[in-house]
Amino acid sequence: MAVANPTLAFGEDLSYARGRLLVRLGVDRVIGWVLLLAFVIVLFPLVDMLGWIAERALPTFTWATLADNQIGTGGGLHSMILGTLLILGLSTGIATAIGVLAGLYTAEFAPRRVAEVGRLGGYLLAGVPAIVLGYFGFYLLVLYTGWNYNTLAGGITLGIFMVPFIFRTTDLAFTNVPHDQKEAALAMGSSRWQYLYRVAFPIAMPTMLSGVFLAMALGLGETAPLLLTAGWSNTVPTNLLEPTGYLTGCIWNFYDFPSTFGHYQTLAFQAAFLLIVIVVILNVSVQVIAEHYRRKLRGLFA
Amino acid sequence: MEPAPSQGVRPAEGTLKEPAPTPSPSDVSWLHQYWKAVVSSPISLVPLFLLAFVGGVLLWASELHNFGTSFWGTYWNWIPPGPGSSYGIGYFALGSVLTAGLAILLATILSLAMAISIVVYLPPIASRVLTLFTDLLAGIPSVVFGIWGFVILAPYFGRTLEPSLRDALFWIPGFGGPEYAIGGGTGILLAVFVLTIMVIPITTAVMRESLRAVPHSAVEAGLALGATRWEVVRRVRMPMARQGISGALFLGFGRAIGESVAVAMLIGATPQLPPSLYAGGYTIASYILDQQDSAFVYPILLQVLVEFALVLLLITLAVNLVGHWLTRDQRSPGRRGLFS
Repeated sequence: MAVANPTLAFGEDLSYARGRLLVRLGVDRVIGWVLLLAFVIVLFPLVDMLGWIAERALPTFTWATLADNQIGTGGGLHSMILGTLLILGLSTGIATAIGVLAGLYTAEFAPRRVAEVGRLGGYLLAGVPAIVLGYFGFYLLVLYTGWNYNTLAGGITLGIFMVPFIFRTTDLAFTNVPHDQKEAALAMGSSRWQYLYRVAFPIAMPTMLSGVFLAMALGLGETAPLLLTAGWSNTVPTNLLEPTGYLTGCIWNFYDFPSTFGHYQTLAFQAAFLLIVIVVILNVSVQVIAEHYRRKLRGLFA
Repeated sequence: MEPAPSQGVRPAEGTLKEPAPTPSPSDVSWLHQYWKAVVSSPISLVPLFLLAFVGGVLLWASELHNFGTSFWGTYWNWIPPGPGSSYGIGYFALGSVLTAGLAILLATILSLAMAISIVVYLPPIASRVLTLFTDLLAGIPSVVFGIWGFVILAPYFGRTLEPSLRDALFWIPGFGGPEYAIGGGTGILLAVFVLTIMVIPITTAVMRESLRAVPHSAVEAGLALGATRWEVVRRVRMPMARQGISGALFLGFGRAIGESVAVAMLIGATPQLPPSLYAGGYTIASYILDQQDSAFVYPILLQVLVEFALVLLLITLAVNLVGHWLTRDQRSPGRRGLFS
């Protein structure tokens, strides 16, 4: 019968069915195939995009692309890679400190109502458009302070952007620790901190870590808040109050130069290629971490 | 504690409550209560404070009264800045709502199909692989979508797709219009297309979770009565997941209306009442991004952009609040994901 295994999608034998039943089972099966069209429609652009970017970036992608600074219409992405790492380091530091602290507190200590309001706050902050955060940073950290475009402002703004994601996954990680574990630990006489440190933390760690990685992937791909705060430069900044370059900014600055302007557009495609590679690496490592811990903690989550 | 459920019966989601923690001596002292209420609880509220800070700075910078009612109109004439210039948000708001709305319309159809496939039809391994792909789609930077759209898609849209769409569908409002509107291919239609792909991962994730959150007992009851999988989806899962599905639309809309970079690259940067979907437009978000350099030079433009950012912030807050309220059922522990 078709309902015997609801997850078995295609290929049941319909020969027994007649009349109205055949129509119903036939509709069911046809719809199963039609729905798959949506995947084709969505994944085709993804594959097309990856293909085109590789085609435009790879033929001229050499070691010099990574090691040289961009000069005139030529050169490489060296300063932008360093700038990206610098901004990402700053913002990840800020966001992890705030997000983990707030998330841990919300999950483990906060009274229920406070936790609910805190979660709503994190949720709403995650929904604030990056451009609004960018303009906030531009107004406050660039104009009001008189620092002009600078790396620190970029790091702080991007940090605020990343906070809610880390906050939410940390909260999720600690609330999802099975309650049995907590009761067992407390029944064995451990203090609250011992429970947190010895029991909850190891269980929550992989989720927290994947939250940080995903927030990094999102922060890495942001352009608008950085354009408005970190400005642009094609040299490596010597201190945090100088503007800096970054990979997404490279794409934004060079995407619409016609080919008569030499290397510009290729440079943008190379930056896009590099970004995709980093995002894929971050995504894959999240999966690997999750799988590793899933094996290690097998049976814990029933 | 409630009595343990009889064997073989799965309790409905969320009916079992965690036992209330036994108060320890330190919990009941007034000092601890004070500490908890006033000093340490705000740690949970830090994200909310950050939000209030961002909104507060923009409110503090805002001088909306200087613009008068013309700010809510459509007349845009800012060169030279000074008396007689006018700054109407109308066409920008129209562009924002139009692009985000159309993108959400398309994304709904596609992601509902994908979510149903993943939850109901596909074998687990295929579901997992396809979920990984849509997650990867969520991680791709918007500026990468932008350059792909501008360099690869725009020529195709301008030369092939849009002229033939116009020939075939001219009788549908928005698909006809003058030929010049097609231009080089950048325009509202291209922005909508790329925005659709960008919001699909979020809407799919939320819809997937809400279709999954439907109680097994209801689904099994449907199957036991002889309904096919599609009939169960149509009559049981979709009605029961209605709130989550509409919540996904709000979340996706909030995301689409706040997207600045890809839209700025693709929409053609023309504040106007678009004669057709092929024509250029502008959105609030992409205008802020495009003009912030000029804001350095013209204080009045700086002020206009503050108001723009504030309007955008208020729209997204409202939309997200509704989306949050609609998806509240999914937020029992173990059901929360990154985007829901």
